[in-house]
Amino acid sequence: MFACIFIPDFPVQASLLPETKETRDRLRCRPVAIFDGPSNLPRIAAINDSARALGIEPGMTRLQVETYGGVQLRERFADLEDEAQEVLLECGKAFSPVLESTFPGAVLLDLAGTQRLFGVPQHTACKIAVRVRQAGLHPQIAVAANPDAALYAAQGFPGITVIAQGEEARTLAPLPIGLLPLTPARLDTLQAWGIHTFGALAALPSVALVERLGQEGFALQNLAQGRAARTLRPIAAPPAFNASYEFDDPVETLESLAFVLNRLLDELCADLISHALSTNELKLTLYLEVMQRRHDGRDERSGEEYVHHWKLPVATQDHALLFTLMRLDLERNTFSAPVREIFLEAVPSKPRLAQGNLFAPPSPEAEKLEITLARIRGVVGVTDEEQCNCAGMPRLVDTHRPDAFSVDAFSSAKPGSTTVSALAPMIALRAFRPALESAVELTGNTPHFVRLWKKYRRVLAASGPWCSSGDWWKDSIWSREEWDVALQTTDGVGYYRIYLDRIKKQWFVAGVFD
Amino acid sequence: MPALALLRAQIESRIPSAFAPMRRPETPRILTGIAGVDSLTEGGIPMQALSEICGSGKTTVLLSLLAQASRQHYCALVDARDSFDPETAKAAGADFSRLLWVRCGKSRQKLPPLEQAFKVADMLLQSSGFGLIAVDLGDIGEKALRKVPLSSWFRFSRVVENQPTALVFLERQPHATSCARLVLQLSTASANIAGNLLTGFTLHADVVRTREKKHAQSAAASFLVKTQWA
Repeated sequence: MFACIFIPDFPVQASLLPETKETRDRLRCRPVAIFDGPSNLPRIAAINDSARALGIEPGMTRLQVETYGGVQLRERFADLEDEAQEVLLECGKAFSPVLESTFPGAVLLDLAGTQRLFGVPQHTACKIAVRVRQAGLHPQIAVAANPDAALYAAQGFPGITVIAQGEEARTLAPLPIGLLPLTPARLDTLQAWGIHTFGALAALPSVALVERLGQEGFALQNLAQGRAARTLRPIAAPPAFNASYEFDDPVETLESLAFVLNRLLDELCADLISHALSTNELKLTLYLEVMQRRHDGRDERSGEEYVHHWKLPVATQDHALLFTLMRLDLERNTFSAPVREIFLEAVPSKPRLAQGNLFAPPSPEAEKLEITLARIRGVVGVTDEEQCNCAGMPRLVDTHRPDAFSVDAFSSAKPGSTTVSALAPMIALRAFRPALESAVELTGNTPHFVRLWKKYRRVLAASGPWCSSGDWWKDSIWSREEWDVALQTTDGVGYYRIYLDRIKKQWFVAGVFD
Repeated sequence: MPALALLRAQIESRIPSAFAPMRRPETPRILTGIAGVDSLTEGGIPMQALSEICGSGKTTVLLSLLAQASRQHYCALVDARDSFDPETAKAAGADFSRLLWVRCGKSRQKLPPLEQAFKVADMLLQSSGFGLIAVDLGDIGEKALRKVPLSSWFRFSRVVENQPTALVFLERQPHATSCARLVLQLSTASANIAGNLLTGFTLHADVVRTREKKHAQSAAASFLVKTQWA
């Protein structure tokens, strides 16, 4: 047997769902209209029975409905309808593990094998109705031997309808054919023939109907007779890919931890492979056991967590790669306490589809590159003091601030730049980071001597001043006066960029032209 | 006909190249984008080899090389003193989406920047897939560089021999000695100043060492490089 939960005027009921029970009950007796569409011309998308009784129809403009007076007008929100559908599914899950979310406001349940739990279909339908009402929605329930019969009965009859096996055609007969999945043209054709109900369609001679409407006509007649048989399209909960392990005694060494981690990752990757999935995001949580001494001298356990995320540019199922990345990261960290429990979670994603290209430049293998980058981060560090990555792809920041850049994650999986800029060799600046503090002796307004590497150097030529400033609306305000100077050094003449930080009133050497 | 010549003729009749000297396949090269340097080096920086670019003007040549190389290859820049200026590199035409920039000595790591740079270069070579690996040691002191054992340079040159990668070191003075296939010494000949505006430099390049052809050794060229705003 199959049960259908149908919520009439679903957008209206969904919009009332966040309200309190009293407000819902009060508004249910009053005309409510839901409007939707562009802000300059919103139209009515759904109404309740009270509004229908007033003569309001879907498709009317908001202004037209406002002239009625006393109508509660509400905007349509897709989020509210999604939440209401979730509520409906949750109610259904209490009665059957096999559910189909047929369309917003309709859920089909397979009741096979539930009779000993919930009783005869009539009782089950009553229990479902009570459950859905408790959740804040007013349903129409139907139970039938096939899903489509239950669906049309729930849409067509108020309250609870139970159709005995073999009685489908007779029960569904008075329903209007508008409930069937018909195109407007086909509906017009049938109505032109004088067919207005399921019963009239069911009574037509099958051969003559097929001659005129083809296989579609035969399928429609089966639906009208309640004979159409199909299987449900059950909703499947997204599989969760996680693994955990609790140690009998907290572990202190990386080897012990790595041994278990390797096993967990192996399980996780096998699980992913069995679902034909990969992962590009891993989350590791280590629960640390911290012992704290209380005032009375006893030790008390308290928990601390170490959480780390790995985001890979490419999806992978390779447990060896993931394990190496984890191990390299764990080697860089030291923990304040031994590890009591491990929890590992993988975010599933579709496997990477790689198509070789004869004309693409040879590139580092993405998986191998990730390990190399992790190893490099182990040598040079992850970020500098300004939280800028120590290894990655340089990117210019959209600002006039000199020497402003960021370093993004490097990946060989990303396509190269498609714009080809004209190449012309240019004098490069070697930056001093941080800029070297200096002192400058001026003659008039022009630098005459510059202190560099603890010695004052004579300025042979100077170009400037080039003034710039910015971010005056922030704490990071900057303002500088730049000069390009030729300095006499022991190796000969050197060309440097110096600047006066007008906020700090201090001279700096920014770099050397090389 | 003496017996030896007869034997040779008999072998050559069956295996014609048996006594011919083995010809080395032509080494692929990456253009630097500076016509003077490219003609001087007979086609640019050699791949499958270690090269050194030294002196004043090395960064200019490096950026031009990166701009050319990043059009066809993935490139890595190991920056021992974090002196790379992305703005100039972008203006020179480098494709950042194919450039891995490793900034050494920026975090609280125990290793000195020189050792970090060498370790990273080694890792990148092992990783393979990069067409150009440039190691910028331009701001590392001469004293520290002179202490680098010759075996390190030798190891780099042997590893890179089997890879389609150009390994380029930027230094003030050459240190790799015979391990380098090409040593390019640069110097600033003069600065071009229009009014009080610096518009460019005339650089002088000298091939100090090359293993390609004897007559190419000690060849020199001068060329003009403009500033970004000229």
